[in-house]
Amino acid sequence: MKRQLAAHPVIFLICLLVVTGTGALTMGSVDVPPPVVGRILLRQLPLLEPWIQSDWTAAQATILLQIRLPRVLLAGAIGGGLAVAGVIFQGLLRNPLADPYIIGVSSGASLGAAIALIFLIPMGYMGFFVLPACAFVGALMSAYMVYRLGRIHGHIQPLQLLLAGVAIASVLTAIVSFLMVLRVQNLQDVYLWLMGSLSGRSWRHFYTASPYILGGFVASFWLARDLNILLLGEETAHSLGVDVQRLQKKALVLGSLLAAAAVSVSGVIGFVGLMVPHGVRLVVGPDHRKLLPLSFLSGAIFLIAADTAARTILSPVELPVGIITALAGGPFFLYLLRRSTT
Amino acid sequence: MTGPSIQLDSVSYSYGSNLVIRDVSLSYDGGQFVGVLGPNGAGKSTLLRLLDRLLIPQKGQIRLNGRPIQEYGLKELARTTALIPQEPEYFPFLVKEIVMMGRTPFVGRFRREQPRDWELVKEAMEQTQVDHLAERPIHQISGGERQRVMLARALVQNTSILLLDEPTNHLDIQHQVSIGRLLQQKGKENILAIAVLHDLHLASLYCDQVILMHEGSVFRQGSPDKVLTGSTLHEVYGVALNVMRHPVNGRPMVFP
Repeated sequence: MKRQLAAHPVIFLICLLVVTGTGALTMGSVDVPPPVVGRILLRQLPLLEPWIQSDWTAAQATILLQIRLPRVLLAGAIGGGLAVAGVIFQGLLRNPLADPYIIGVSSGASLGAAIALIFLIPMGYMGFFVLPACAFVGALMSAYMVYRLGRIHGHIQPLQLLLAGVAIASVLTAIVSFLMVLRVQNLQDVYLWLMGSLSGRSWRHFYTASPYILGGFVASFWLARDLNILLLGEETAHSLGVDVQRLQKKALVLGSLLAAAAVSVSGVIGFVGLMVPHGVRLVVGPDHRKLLPLSFLSGAIFLIAADTAARTILSPVELPVGIITALAGGPFFLYLLRRSTT
Repeated sequence: MTGPSIQLDSVSYSYGSNLVIRDVSLSYDGGQFVGVLGPNGAGKSTLLRLLDRLLIPQKGQIRLNGRPIQEYGLKELARTTALIPQEPEYFPFLVKEIVMMGRTPFVGRFRREQPRDWELVKEAMEQTQVDHLAERPIHQISGGERQRVMLARALVQNTSILLLDEPTNHLDIQHQVSIGRLLQQKGKENILAIAVLHDLHLASLYCDQVILMHEGSVFRQGSPDKVLTGSTLHEVYGVALNVMRHPVNGRPMVFP
């Protein structure tokens, strides 16, 4: 009975995701109406090909398949990945104010990715592998630092940890800016990276990030039940047979992996991991077995919509999508802060 | 299997250089309700944490049901002792979901809960009189009700040893009484319940045995009748206290 109830939001969100995705594909400087989008996509399937007549221009097909589709899929993967990372960090810290951006993990990933982009990839290392790996190492290092600084007498102190995260995030962001200003010719690129942007992203970026994000998302189900129990407190969780320290380490690694995969191709997009899980929690409650899949879908929908707004509002100028998420997320964070302290 | 037992052999524990448990030896065997008493900072909560292996003693040996505590696997330990710590955090799970979490040591990671698990959950909620709250979110019920939900959660863990840190703190008197009675009853059902209590009256009325702690050591232990005397309490609490008899059952009652 409960399972059926839980299935409904999943189906609803999948439908919404398809609608949002299709809508995003139609929008942009070149008009591609929804039926054409549908037919172009269907024609890519091997069995359907002879049945669908091509009544569109080559330009439309190229724009759809080579520019918009990878970008929409990438936005979905990144939004989903950041939202799941947010769920994991919030569960780990038992605090709805946590997300990979606020606790400094994204900044760590950003530094790792920036080092790869500036120093390693131009020297001919394989970007496909090196970029997310460097981002992951950076994310893990900052996560570990924040975790150590936030732990007092063997217990995580959420406030301490949040503040440590904020401090570490600013230091790391400063280092990233410094490196980029030194080495990158085009300041606009630096800016896009720091704000988070999907401008000009292609299939290559999608293939670089999405395996880690999907893998991390699937692996997160392994932690769902233990994260639920951790919400009762570390001592109760221990008493119920959960190895609390190991769980915390696994959650840090998994959250860092997801955040790193996202950051390595998009720069630091903030607040998705904060807003989405919180909104989902308000509707379905704190059970991670529901929160994880629903947040993944909602995050994907949210970032596809935000990125579509980012590239169409001032068209032909593209805004970094991080501006849109920060404009929505900053006030939301303040609202949460007020609510949790009063 | 024999009855539940705990045994501490000259156990010491210190936080850094601060010795909080000094050379404590205790032994309890069989179902009973044991109260741990003493002023703040006497080491009562630390004692409970040692018994659930949240803390590992630097010296001495602890045995649960005859076996050294460090030999237990984590799940196995969770099937032997259940701890109800003092924790003010509550996330909006439903009451029945919280109680079901007590079945964790028995349910596989991806296995669904079985009808048997739900039966145990229902039974435990009835015993602690929270079955009518099953569908309510935990943060919307009163403190006394929450404490009884936590107790139900510990009961479905089906352990022979229960450890409770101030289970009656901040509760109205009717809830204090119902928890006292329930733990007394559990003692008769061959469960060894060990509770840190602040309320000497409650301990006197419901505990089979009490441990009076002072500065990390066991000052006295025995039946409430033997331990709760004016002179003993004076030494431990540092104020003169009068001990009188309860008008109905003759148990010792303490008045300033």
